[in-house]
Amino acid sequence: MLTTARFAAVLVAAALSAPAAAFADTNISAAGSTALQPLVTAAAGEYQAKHPDTKISVTGGGSRTGLGLVASKAVDLGDSDILAQNQPNLIDHRVAVIGFAIVTNPDVGVKNLSKKQIQDIFSGSAKNWKDVGGKDEQITVINRPASSGTRAVFMKTLMGGANLDQATLTEDATGTVVQKVKQTAGSVSYAAFSGTRNQSGITEVSIDGAAPTDANIQSGKYPYWSYEHVYTNGQPSKQASDFIGFLKNNKGLLQKTGYIPVGDMKVTENDR
Amino acid sequence: MADAAMVNAPDVKQDLSRSRARGRRLVDAVATLLLWSAASIVVGLLLLFVAYLFYKGASVVDWHFLTGNPTAAQAGGGIGPFIYNSFYILLLTLAFTIPIAVSAGMYLQEYASRGRFRQIVQFSAESLATVPSIVMGLFGLLVFVEAFHWHFTALGGALTLTLLNLPAMMRVTQESLAGVPATYREASMALGGTKWQTIVRAILPSAIGPLTTGVVLIAGRIFGETAALIFTAGASVSYGRSAYDPSVWHTAETLSVALYQTHREALVPDADRIGNGAALVLLVMVLLFNIVARVAGRRLSRRLTGKST
Amino acid sequence: MVGFRASRAHRDERIALAILMACSAIFVVAIALILGFLAINGTKLFFQDHVSPLAFLFGTTWDGFGGHYGALPFIVGSLVATGFAILVGGPLGVAIGVFFSELAPARIAAVFKPAIEVLVGIPSIVYGWLGLTLLVPALGAITHTNGDGLLAAGIVLSIMILPTVISLSEDALRVVPNALREGSASLGATRWETISRVLVPAASSGIAVAVILGIARAIGETLAIQLVLGNAPVLPKSLLSPASALTSEIIIDMGDAPDGSPFRHALFSMAFLLLLIAMALIILIRLALRKRT
Repeated sequence: MLTTARFAAVLVAAALSAPAAAFADTNISAAGSTALQPLVTAAAGEYQAKHPDTKISVTGGGSRTGLGLVASKAVDLGDSDILAQNQPNLIDHRVAVIGFAIVTNPDVGVKNLSKKQIQDIFSGSAKNWKDVGGKDEQITVINRPASSGTRAVFMKTLMGGANLDQATLTEDATGTVVQKVKQTAGSVSYAAFSGTRNQSGITEVSIDGAAPTDANIQSGKYPYWSYEHVYTNGQPSKQASDFIGFLKNNKGLLQKTGYIPVGDMKVTENDR
Repeated sequence: MADAAMVNAPDVKQDLSRSRARGRRLVDAVATLLLWSAASIVVGLLLLFVAYLFYKGASVVDWHFLTGNPTAAQAGGGIGPFIYNSFYILLLTLAFTIPIAVSAGMYLQEYASRGRFRQIVQFSAESLATVPSIVMGLFGLLVFVEAFHWHFTALGGALTLTLLNLPAMMRVTQESLAGVPATYREASMALGGTKWQTIVRAILPSAIGPLTTGVVLIAGRIFGETAALIFTAGASVSYGRSAYDPSVWHTAETLSVALYQTHREALVPDADRIGNGAALVLLVMVLLFNIVARVAGRRLSRRLTGKST
Repeated sequence: MVGFRASRAHRDERIALAILMACSAIFVVAIALILGFLAINGTKLFFQDHVSPLAFLFGTTWDGFGGHYGALPFIVGSLVATGFAILVGGPLGVAIGVFFSELAPARIAAVFKPAIEVLVGIPSIVYGWLGLTLLVPALGAITHTNGDGLLAAGIVLSIMILPTVISLSEDALRVVPNALREGSASLGATRWETISRVLVPAASSGIAVAVILGIARAIGETLAIQLVLGNAPVLPKSLLSPASALTSEIIIDMGDAPDGSPFRHALFSMAFLLLLIAMALIILIRLALRKRT
């Protein structure tokens, strides 16, 4: 047992002296937006198949988490739906455009909502679907936490300064929101296309008559979308830069996972 | 009070005491029934949990699920790397916990009969034992992840779990040593052994049974720990062939963290299926640890006591 | 030859003792470091960001990115869920402890006790999973709500503290001298009277310790309740409305709070508060045990 103790001591000493060796250049870590996560993870899988020596780890956490982690150099890539504020070290790489949808449980039966109705629902002033043109059924709102970029873009593009009622169910990630909407009668939430496409059991709602489609986003008719950003702290390493390029230019993968290539946009964020 | 008023009516009093005796027996019977049902309810709950987890998970768990790699965003992923990480962190944690806690337990039980240092160590251990695992996780985050700049590593996770499990392991040691008959000590000392020789040659071998039981039960606890690992060992694995990383520096998402994370992110369309499978695997592991603890403990103590007498 | 051997044994003895003492000292250093690190990081909100402790303890608005750090919703959530667990799980656990110590025939105990030990071993994340997939839908169906909230969390915690309360209260009862049982029986007391008027009072300090350790386990539990609380960072309107607790809010927000921000400091203040509660419980246990001696 003394040998074990000695072994442990050696291990601790080694740990204290040699952590640098742990992070070879072929490690790329990414964290942040759960709206961008499906693209990054899928791309990581394809990229590693081509470059077997590169290790890529992908974590969610939310956009602000990603920005925080890349700012403190805890990860190499910070995935975000929102722009970084006052962070001169962070370099923005726009990799795609993502659309978001207002989603409801299919039992609700509402197909279209005006911006005003959306504001009433999420500020808590409309409590029943009949208040917004639906049947007599209680509305169950599901929110994302404050760190969510999906929520930030929702506030910016649709809520128009109205306050969010926070006394609601809150789910951590896009996938969980979609699951919960499926399971909960009368529920409504907001989620990225990458999480709602290829899903049955939820209804995507039109906003002011514009259906949540790629075409409507490209032409500027549908308001709820944003650029997806990958941030690096300073210039990226050669491998990281290579991987970002792979993310951005892989049109087939972008479309398969529910994103729009940046080059396909006919409008910019300022046109909204 | 009532008796005083009835003192002059002996037959009424007798009646009353008879009916009261009946009442007391009734209360006793009802209480007995309630105690039996309380115990049965809890055992029933356990059976319900086990049955439910098997019902939901049995169709998920197969060889591919147990050994396959997790997928990024498609259905059909496995949990192989998570199981690997769970055992990796378990063994690393035990490698730290056992020597430290057994030594401390030996010191408290065999050397420090009274005295200030013993009291301080005892009180520290009790305090350490009540630190919530999420708080321990944040401590690990501050120290191993941030102050040491290790990032999320298996080593940081294991050291955090070591802090969490030292007190229990020390207690197990103390109890195991306390269970060794005094005659063993006396016999060894009488043969001229020093205290240390006595501990190593006579006491430890005869305490090995309960000690092993304790280690295996604590191993079960380590295997299932989650909250302390999320911010220390991390909640991600790299995909592909690098998923089984032998380095202590790798980010190590364990099976229990994966169960949490799979639900939390629900990135794969079959998150529920994977959750049900992972929950069942965790349950079966815990059952196995319990059975091994019992069997191994009993065997070892039988064999070793058989030899040393 | 003998002298050489003896001196070597003597040297081994000294080395061994030094190592054993060093290992014991690790416990002291560890808890001191934990207290120190959390005290420093848990009070930055007050000393560095100049948020008043009262605004933290009694504020009801939690908006980490918007400058509001009121933790009352989580303090209330933790206390209500824990209180519920103690009110339900406490008496039930003590009752089962009594059952094992006074009633259970050996054959029944041989089946039931291992079952209880398995309950201890089930990881908290699995309890959370059971809560999420079994309890919440059931509660939702019965009450016509979502099922998430403090009631669900309280039920999960009640079950989770049972093994602790059961085994410790059983131990406390077992050390009550048999003379008390025999004396009470010879006075004509029924078994229940002996239990309720003699044994439980005699074991009261041990039972108190069992319940306090149950509280300690409940208040620190994180994932099992995060999965069933509904996670709304507001004062709960009822036991059936979405709520949050100190532990669950830490796990939700920790990854999001930027380094060095008041948001992050507020989370560490919550962790420090949890640690202080745990330490207070330890002191309570000491007091309960001192009363006995």
